[in-house]
Amino acid sequence: MTAADSLVRCAGAGRTFGETVALQPTDLEVAAGERLALVGPSGSGKSTLLALMAGLDDPTVGQVSWPAIGDRRALRPTAVAVVFQGPSLLPPLTVAENVALPLLLADVAASEVADRVATALETVGLTGEADRLPEEISGGQLQRAAVARALATDVQLILADEPTGQLDSATAAAVIDALLSTSAALVVATHDPLVADRFERRIMIRDGRVSQAVSA
Amino acid sequence: MTALWIKGLVSRRRTRLAGTALGVAVCVALLASVGTFLSATTGQMTKRAAARVAVDWQLALRPGTSAASALIEVRRTRGLQQVLPVGYADTTGLGAATGGGSQQTGPGKVLGIPAGYARAFPGQVRTLAGRGSGVLIAQQTAANLHAAPGDTITIGRRGRAAAKVRVDGVVDLPAADSLFQRVGAPVGAQPQAPPDNVVLLPAPTFARLLGAGAQTQLHIKLSHALPRTPGAAFTDVSGRGRNLETRLAGGGLVGDNLGTALDQAREDALYASLLFLFLGLPGAVIAGLVTASLAALGGEQRRRDAALLRTRGATTRQLVRLAGAEAAASGLTGVALGLGTALVVGQLAFGSATFGGTTLSAVVWGAGSALAGLAAAVAAIVVPGWRDARSLTVAGQRRGAGRDHGRRRTALALLALAGSGLVFWQASRNGYNLVLAPEGVPQVSVNWYALLAPALGWLGTGLLVHELAQAILQRGGAVRRLIRPVAGPLSGVVASSLRRRRGALAAGVTLLALTAAFGASTAVFNSTYKAQAEVDARLTNGADVTVVDSSGTRTAVPRVAGMGAVEPLQHRFAYVGADLQDLYGVRPATITAAGKLQNSWFAGGTAAELMGKLAARADSLLVSEETVKDFQLHPGDLLRLRLNGRTVPFHYAGVAREFPTAPKDSFLVANASYIARATGSKAIGTFLVQTDGTAPKTVAHRLRARLGTTAKVSDVDEQRRVIGSNLTAVELSGLTRVELGFALVLAVAASGLALGVGFRERRRTFVLVAALGARPRQLGAFVWSESLYVTLGGIVLGAAIAAALSLMLVKILTGVFDPPPDVLTVPWGYLFAVVAVAGGAVGAAGSLTLRALRRPQPEELRAR
Repeated sequence: MTAADSLVRCAGAGRTFGETVALQPTDLEVAAGERLALVGPSGSGKSTLLALMAGLDDPTVGQVSWPAIGDRRALRPTAVAVVFQGPSLLPPLTVAENVALPLLLADVAASEVADRVATALETVGLTGEADRLPEEISGGQLQRAAVARALATDVQLILADEPTGQLDSATAAAVIDALLSTSAALVVATHDPLVADRFERRIMIRDGRVSQAVSA
Repeated sequence: MTALWIKGLVSRRRTRLAGTALGVAVCVALLASVGTFLSATTGQMTKRAAARVAVDWQLALRPGTSAASALIEVRRTRGLQQVLPVGYADTTGLGAATGGGSQQTGPGKVLGIPAGYARAFPGQVRTLAGRGSGVLIAQQTAANLHAAPGDTITIGRRGRAAAKVRVDGVVDLPAADSLFQRVGAPVGAQPQAPPDNVVLLPAPTFARLLGAGAQTQLHIKLSHALPRTPGAAFTDVSGRGRNLETRLAGGGLVGDNLGTALDQAREDALYASLLFLFLGLPGAVIAGLVTASLAALGGEQRRRDAALLRTRGATTRQLVRLAGAEAAASGLTGVALGLGTALVVGQLAFGSATFGGTTLSAVVWGAGSALAGLAAAVAAIVVPGWRDARSLTVAGQRRGAGRDHGRRRTALALLALAGSGLVFWQASRNGYNLVLAPEGVPQVSVNWYALLAPALGWLGTGLLVHELAQAILQRGGAVRRLIRPVAGPLSGVVASSLRRRRGALAAGVTLLALTAAFGASTAVFNSTYKAQAEVDARLTNGADVTVVDSSGTRTAVPRVAGMGAVEPLQHRFAYVGADLQDLYGVRPATITAAGKLQNSWFAGGTAAELMGKLAARADSLLVSEETVKDFQLHPGDLLRLRLNGRTVPFHYAGVAREFPTAPKDSFLVANASYIARATGSKAIGTFLVQTDGTAPKTVAHRLRARLGTTAKVSDVDEQRRVIGSNLTAVELSGLTRVELGFALVLAVAASGLALGVGFRERRRTFVLVAALGARPRQLGAFVWSESLYVTLGGIVLGAAIAAALSLMLVKILTGVFDPPPDVLTVPWGYLFAVVAVAGGAVGAAGSLTLRALRRPQPEELRAR
């Protein structure tokens, strides 16, 4: 993989919040189609690293770039999708509308939007919940809907922050299955070893420091 | 735990706390300002009413009562400052040989004025020419006799030779009506007009010339350190008067001029209270609603917080205590801010930095306003908190209260509007007499039933607007079309979002509509009042400048610089049966424009139509409504008037309620040419002078210089000042100024602040949309669509409510209008200002929201 092939490249990228070091300077690259798990306990810096990779935050040291995509403005909604930690559906929109939202933001044609939403919901097993509001479905279904929203956009890179954090093992497995069903590169931050075990490449983070890179 | 909670709120929910505190502050400031208004008003009303009285009491002694013994009793009266005896005698007529001819008048009055009278009662006699003491003659008398200071006049005495006196001065008697009142006689038995022929003699001269058979009145000046409210002052003064009469044991009757003025002020004070109900109370209620609405914007977050606390074992009592702490924090901050603001507003608008006239009322208004503000905060935060805390499940709390009472609300709205219409119709049929002050009845009361019309109107329109705003959102297609210009391809999903938030948005629309309606209706009422005050000034004065010829012989006025058109207005007196009325002879072709006649001054046709009737038939006559009623007249009926000793036939052609320079009731309008022919006199009496743009007071000054004391010249500027200093006018302008200022603040709070706080409370939603890749324009679709719907809906529906309310308000408060308006005066400038301020506030709220979303912090995505 050349530097230009990388979807995202962290070069000594670190992040501090005041006196607190959330992430030590880190070097990391993710190539197209690559599957990667960021593993570590709560507060270890996984979400911080994911936010930097998603372009949602800026490093205080080092740099983050997206050589194969372009600059930050090109990331979302067409190239990078983010599955956020915790409920992230918009309360006043139905499940289908939530899934459709990034497509509408990307100016996808209305007819195509309907097809892609239907496919994404089918992938995560939520076809029957399409017209329900977020407050009317369970926590696991909420998380699957968030995954469906990421899948529907047909992006190059999906960044998922603890996508199975509050789910039982069966639902967690279904969510990871859905994420792995796409051809996009996938980075999942998790503290769950069962989830981490599903990935070929795993990076351990502890106290903001990437301490160990493991390949299955 | 409570302290920790408050600390957390201050650092994490600052916008919500500040928003609620601001709402409370507006509510408290408005109520306390109105308290200041009422306090300042009632106190000023008493003072002004007392100050207008020339002589507080006129004690008429019964024949045979000794003035000396009466004086002893009078001096025992509490608050007595001055008492002077004035002699009253009749003259058979006055005469003068001046200017190469001799003039003789009819019967008149001669007064014996004691030394020091002018100093003791400065409002009674105004010197126009010559000296202010000695032998004085009234201006009309001087005109009748062609007499001036230095001339000798004769005073006819019954059964004796006429007495000769030398005139020292010509005076005006501003309070002639009360000076020559028939003390003790009821209103209907009073003289219709004061005498034309009046001579004032020094007391010794009076005693020498007319002492035998003369009557004596004791003119009394009381201390004006009266109870603060007009009602209490009236009770005090009239009670003292009756006490004096009792002590005199039938020896004298008190003509209570001070009591009469205070009685009128009592009515004004009631109107002031009603103005509070109509203009102040809705504002305060709306301010309370704005507060509740701002506080409720954090309701969802509060429910989530409560749900989390409940999972960690918080009891219902603890949850309510935390809600109470939040209400107290924002409420107390708002109360302090509001009371401070009210003090400043009170000082600037009413010149009074206190909430009440007395310590007690200050405490009541101050504490009442504070309690109202705290109640608004408690109702908005603690009550929902307590209701939520009683829910057993966390899921239940997260769902919130979602039961829909739409149909019930619509039914209630329609019922309230129907009730309002019914009461309004019933009350309108009776002329909407809000303040009931029947002649001869000492008590003034308010027709509270009539107040149901606006109260139900506010309730009904509020509920209806809410349901309407929800119904529009329910129809997704219409909303999609409305927001397409700002939402573009996202209009569908944004419309869905709006539809599911219809409850909150409808509340926003309702609040803004009611606020706009409050501001607009108050402004329309205020402008209409001002316009009518201008009409009143013109009606009373007749024209820019009015010349009343004292001699009654003049047929033209001399031209002076600045004069435009001159319209002659014949003025005569005529008897309708036994009733002496003012008769005005007009030129029908020109008087409509020259007198700026208004349609509301006539009944049974427009001003032009009725003047047309006069033009069509020479002996046509317009009469007052009272005359129509008293004499059972029908159109075309023949009326025979006694005019200058002749009987002249007229035909009843229509009703005139008001006419330039005419008294309120009992006047007649006819063709000038017919009157001149019938009476053989072309004398005019009154000239309505329009200026060519020169200030009326300048033209009046020039005319006065030319005409001297032979004519009375008045100008509309002076009249405007007199009307503008009336009790209602002064206080109303202060109240409406404050109301209009608060309406602007409320418009900002109900639009920009409410939307801004709402956006802030839902910030995570917008952050999520931004994190999903929304460009600023796309984020703007969500923000601006909501803003557009609330603002446009609020302004449009508010305008509709304002139109209906303004009509109702003006109709209900007819009592403060004199004359009633033809049409409402719309203050477009202020209305545009309300729209601009609301639009500006919404624009600022939206822009700030979008600006803050440019780079959302990642931790906001994780926050719940």
